[in-house]
Parts: sequence; structure tokens; C-alpha cells
Amino acid sequence: MGAKLFAVLKKDALTSLRYRSGFVLATLAQAAQLATFYFLSLAIGPQFRPDGMPYLLFLLVGTGFYTFLVAGMHSFLRTIQESQQAGTLEVLLTTSTPAPALVVLNAISAFASGMLQFAVCILAAIYLFGHTLHINVIGFVIVFSLSLLITLAIGLCIAGLQVATHKGSALLWLLGSGSWLVSGTLFPTAALPRVARVVASCIPFTHSLSGMRLALLAGKTPGLLHEIEVLALFSLMLVPIGVGFFSWMVQQARQNGSLCFY
Amino acid sequence: MVSVAFEFVHKVYRQNRFFLFENPSRTTYALRQVSFSVERGEVLGLLGPNGSGKSTTLKLISTILLPDSGRILIQGHETRREGQKVRRDVGFALASERSFFPRLTVRENLEFFAALEDVPHREIPERIAQALRAVELIYAADKQAMKLSSGMYQRLAIARAIVKNPAVLLLDEPTRSLDLTSATELRRLISELATRGTTIVLATHSFEEATSVCNRVALLNKGELMAEQEVGGLSSHNIEELYREMTCEQPRSTELLRVTA
Repeated sequence: MGAKLFAVLKKDALTSLRYRSGFVLATLAQAAQLATFYFLSLAIGPQFRPDGMPYLLFLLVGTGFYTFLVAGMHSFLRTIQESQQAGTLEVLLTTSTPAPALVVLNAISAFASGMLQFAVCILAAIYLFGHTLHINVIGFVIVFSLSLLITLAIGLCIAGLQVATHKGSALLWLLGSGSWLVSGTLFPTAALPRVARVVASCIPFTHSLSGMRLALLAGKTPGLLHEIEVLALFSLMLVPIGVGFFSWMVQQARQNGSLCFY
Repeated sequence: MVSVAFEFVHKVYRQNRFFLFENPSRTTYALRQVSFSVERGEVLGLLGPNGSGKSTTLKLISTILLPDSGRILIQGHETRREGQKVRRDVGFALASERSFFPRLTVRENLEFFAALEDVPHREIPERIAQALRAVELIYAADKQAMKLSSGMYQRLAIARAIVKNPAVLLLDEPTRSLDLTSATELRRLISELATRGTTIVLATHSFEEATSVCNRVALLNKGELMAEQEVGGLSSHNIEELYREMTCEQPRSTELLRVTA
């Protein structure tokens, strides 16, 4: 599997390097986003401390990690969409690599670039804006890994829908915009009405963002352990569902003959 | 040893299916109860006009499609239940220009697919060189895929299919975009691969191509297997007449007279 991962990463790195303009634009967009958050937190003022944290840190960690997770989900959709449009899907699905492994491998380079962007957010918080973090390394690794597993599982469901119905973007849009609103990316979930808070607690990303903020900004807290338990439960449920659903959808597409069409 | 076996294979394409309801007028019968087998090292030509079911047959062997009924065995593995094992044994030369990564070079494209095909890492450079030499594309190894011509894409697709040393090689109109010299070279390669034990199933609508490289020809029309005969025997005249009738082609002798005139 290591050789396959290396091959996919090499293919994506070479492709993105040969599209130089896209690489430069992505870097500029990240810089603009950091500046926006900085001025937004300045405008709101230092007295606003959601969950007891400085607002700029709340924003940087929340938005950085949310972007990482949603970009990860989106990469599954993009992998399928691009290979449907480019005509590589049917070739890829005739190789010896199982279909779920193939899609996960192709999404990994998007995760790598998302992780880089998230790291830039954290480093900017420390070195550019002069904040101090209280990092719980073990908590960070566990929250990160569980959130990654959940994203892989949801990503596989989206990819499965895209393979079979070509409408995976609908599920991504629903999840992406829904969780952007209620999962506590820009403001704490406590600000939401009660019904929306219940909905938020059923979305795994709410717990991912909360867990990540606690692991990076608050050190060791009982709240972090609770978030880890909830994330573990979500991943136990979602990973088999994602793998099973994707494999089933690919099998359906092979049966219906829709694998080759877009 | 039987390498490819079709047993009463039936394949239907249904459009606009809504749960259990389907519009019969939108149903296309791609294959109807087709049965045939191919021995190890044999070259079978699937001959037929457009829409006869040749490409569907290749897609069924490669597991891009699954049959509605009947079963397909590749090297003893059933495509529906053991798809992964089948994919390990089959190399499919899909010649679409869009099936490569345009910004990668010929070599980088092959490296990527070889890794996905579980070719041992150390063997990849040598296997790629062998495959590129076999299809006479070694001189373009470091050229970006987007700069290739149609004929070069065709040869690259064959290189991609043989780089994993498949037990069964599927070729869909392999000489379509090739000039005469390249086509002759490709036919030589096909014979060489078959001598080494590779089973080859080749789809074509050229009677001449089918009879020049294949040991046996299966004639398909509207999803039905019309005839199946060894090449070289007197009986191949029957299949020629049948095929030319099917495609409304003039007999070769008449064509020749017209061209000469």
C-alpha cells in the first residue's frame, strides 16, 4: 500500500506543480483568509472570548480544521468527478487496487494539502499574531485521527453517490453548508437556538471542532475526553457504513453500466 | 486450459429505470445468451459491426460491467464474486485519449498505473522499458501525455495493459489509429504475446485484421453470437460471407475490381 500511496502523491504533486498558476492562487487565498480573520477579531474586540478563548484563535482553529475536514470530503467527490470527466475512472477501476482503497488513496493528497493549510493557520496564530497555545499532544492526535476517519467514511458515501447517481455534490453541499452553520466554526454553538443545538450535537464535525479547540488551546480538560468518546462512537458507526456503501454503489454501477458515463 | 469462459451471458442496458418500473422501449439488449470459451495462449477475434456487443463483451471480461444473467469465468474466477482476482489477471487496452493524465509524461503515467497494478516496485522501471520497447514508444518516454498523437495514445494504452504481464489481454480495435507499419508491428506483438501464453481477446470490425492475427473468430451481431470458427480453414469463407452480408459490404473481389477501374 505504501508504494501505491507514493505513486498517487507523486502523480498529484507533479500535476499541481505543472499547474503553477493554481498553486500561486491557492497560497494567495490562504493569506487573504488569515488577514480577514485578523481584522474580524480586531473589529469584534478582545472582550469577546467564546468558550474562554481569544476569538482569533477560536476562528483560526475552527475554520482551519473545518476547512481541512470539508476539503477532505470534497476531495472524494472531486476524485470521482474528475476521473469521470477525464475518462480515467473505468481504467482505474479495472486495476488490481480495490475501489475503496483507490478513492481513499486519491483523497490522501488533498488531505496532505489541507493539513498544510491547517498547520499554516496554527503557525500564524503563534508566530504572526503572538498567541500562546496549550497543546495536549495526545488529545490532538486522537481528535485528529478520529475526525480523519469520520471524514473518510462520509467522503466514501459522497463518492458512492457520485459513482451511482452523479449527484454526490448534493450530499456534500447539504453537509458542508449545514455544518458550517451549526457546528461552531465562526461562533460557539451555545449561541444557537435549542433545536439547532440538538442538531449540532448530532453532527460529528461539531465534536471535531470542539475537541480540536480543547486539545490545542485548553490543554487537558474533562470536556476533551467527552468529545473523544463521541468521536470514537461516530467513527465506529460511520467507517463500516462508508466502506460498505461505496463498494455497493460501485457494484451497482458495474451492473447498470453507468460506470463509464458522466 | 480454458482462460476465458462465457456461459449463457445476458446483458441489458436499461435507461430511465424508476424502482421496479422500466420503459421497455428504452431497453437495449447488449448480449443475448452468449457462450464461448478461449484457451490459454489463444487469440480470439470478436468481429461485428457497430453495436454488435464487442465492446460490451470486453467490458464484461474486465469487470467494468457485470452480467445480468449467466456467468463469466476468467482463469477460473467468476467475475461477479471474485472481481478483484479477475482484475489482477486482466489487462485492458482502453485507448481513449482521455484515460491518461495529460500533464504527466508517458513514463510517469505508466509508473502510476504499474504501482496500482501491484507490480513490484523494483521491477517497475524495467517493465516500463520493456512495454515501451514492445509498442515502439520508448523514444517518447519523457514526453507529456497531452502532446501525443492518437496513434501514440493507442500504443501507450497497450503498453499500460501489458506492463502488469496480464494472463488475459483485451484489445479494443487496437489498430484503429495506427499507420500501416505500426499496425504490422502490433500484430507481430500480439502473436508474440500469445506464443508466451497470454490469452488475447481482440474486438474489431475489420475482417482482415481478425483473420490476420486471430486463431479463431467469433461473429457478433445485435448482441447474438452468430458464428464461431477457426481461422485458416475452408470454413472461414462462410464467416466472411456472413459478415459482409451483415455489414452490406461488397465481396472483396468486387471491391477490388471497382478500385482497379
